[in-house]
Amino acid sequence: MLANYGFVTDSYSAASGKGMPGIRSISEKVPCESTVAADIEAGVTEVIDEIIETLTRPLTDQEKSPPPMDTGETSRIIFKGNLGEVNRFFYQRGWADGLPVVPPTEEAVAEMLTGTDFPPDHVVTKIIPRMGKATVEKIAINAVMAGALPTYMPVLIAAAQAIMDPKTRFDTFEVSTGSWAPFYILNGSIRKAININCSSGALSPGDIANAAIGRAMGLIVKNIGGARKAVEDMGVLGNPGKYTLVIGENEEESPWEPLHVSRGYRKEDNAVTVFFPNSFSQTIPMQTDDKGIIQAMINNVRGGGMAGFLLIPAHARYLANEGWTRKQVMEYIVENAVTTTGPGVPLPSGEEGVRKMFSDTGSMIIVVAGGPGVFTGVLTSAGGGAMSGFGNDFVTRKIELPANWDKLVAKYKNVVPTYAKY
Amino acid sequence: MSGDSMQYEVLSPWAEADPVPMKGLTASRQTDLNGKKIGMFCNIKQASHRIAPVVERRLKERFPSAEFSYYRGKAFSVSEMEPQNIDNFNKWIDEVDTVILAVGD
Repeated sequence: MLANYGFVTDSYSAASGKGMPGIRSISEKVPCESTVAADIEAGVTEVIDEIIETLTRPLTDQEKSPPPMDTGETSRIIFKGNLGEVNRFFYQRGWADGLPVVPPTEEAVAEMLTGTDFPPDHVVTKIIPRMGKATVEKIAINAVMAGALPTYMPVLIAAAQAIMDPKTRFDTFEVSTGSWAPFYILNGSIRKAININCSSGALSPGDIANAAIGRAMGLIVKNIGGARKAVEDMGVLGNPGKYTLVIGENEEESPWEPLHVSRGYRKEDNAVTVFFPNSFSQTIPMQTDDKGIIQAMINNVRGGGMAGFLLIPAHARYLANEGWTRKQVMEYIVENAVTTTGPGVPLPSGEEGVRKMFSDTGSMIIVVAGGPGVFTGVLTSAGGGAMSGFGNDFVTRKIELPANWDKLVAKYKNVVPTYAKY
Repeated sequence: MSGDSMQYEVLSPWAEADPVPMKGLTASRQTDLNGKKIGMFCNIKQASHRIAPVVERRLKERFPSAEFSYYRGKAFSVSEMEPQNIDNFNKWIDEVDTVILAVGD
């Protein structure tokens, strides 16, 4: 296998993950995805002797019969120490996200488990690349570390199932160079029950549910799935959205049916929708009439692929008053959102000039969210969607609540910030 | 934080995973590439399709009687072991003596 020197470790990990650690990788210096002939010529020439030697060297005993792979430490109780020691231990094991974690003690995890009716050993899903078993207890442990409340457990369980739905193409977007980050949109009464911010500053820090659910999912992916930065997770620039990207739809101020209803669920259901954007952009319409608002949504997109538009309630209401449905807005965007390859710079396919950014309305969602103001936002997934060849899609999953839900909500509902008056 | 005297016994966030069955390499390596059919496996990355012909040309300079056969991936991150690919892939593998995979990254 010929791989850029930065991807050799990744190539061995991928081969081992398929049970074939004996695959031979050669480190070359051709820039990743290079189209520059001179770079390719030089990179190949430098390793041509090694290519020949690699093809002709006899197999070693280890290549013929590799030993079992080390699956890592699996003791349930893993460490004892004070707060600083616990944090250093987790960080040095590669089990943290760079911020301090809450120690997942037996007591804290037991409290977290009150948020679900599933038994602790129930396997919710298996998460790639290790296919680690996402038991309810492991989800709860990572949720404690993230500072989550037990009322978030139903969301975390549904979100874990959602990301592992093959339609998300999590296998690619979790680890790919494009640094995609999961974006979770919540619908239903659970938003209010757990105080998900759907309004002003919903994507800013300061709301425990928005913050801890995304953070917990990041730790679940990292510690259960086992994707390591710069080993399997090859994001070139990375993405701050991997800390958390969670929002609720502002259903109360939306003129349209909730997102999950438009995706086939009942209004009384609770649901989480996920896709993998890699950028977030906000802009302001030049005109605030219907075409001006929609044109601003279009202007805010670069490159196309998949998009999750965040339309503020004021804009959504204006569009609805002018007779626009959510579907009609999406159809207008599909028809009118175009980009250009630039003169003399065709796509690898040979396509050049003006082209559409979205293949169809399935390449986007419109979420009514945010507070008073005039800005409109979009999270875009460059390289995602039907036009990309990934074949990925938005995935919505119903959130199942435990039998003791009302009592649980009553216990944690008042965990909200109360600002000083001045 | 490290001055905190409170002791915490903590549970592991790291998940168990079923062991992956190991598969050893079974195809003998070639001792001489002359007269052999060398498989060039290109994934979907654009550089892969540009690297492979350069490797072919360089190898032909050393092994003029070597032949080359190309297999090109059709979709990102879709294994050739998937049902829609496996028959074509296996047919190609049976026809070549050794394989070079150009990743493109």
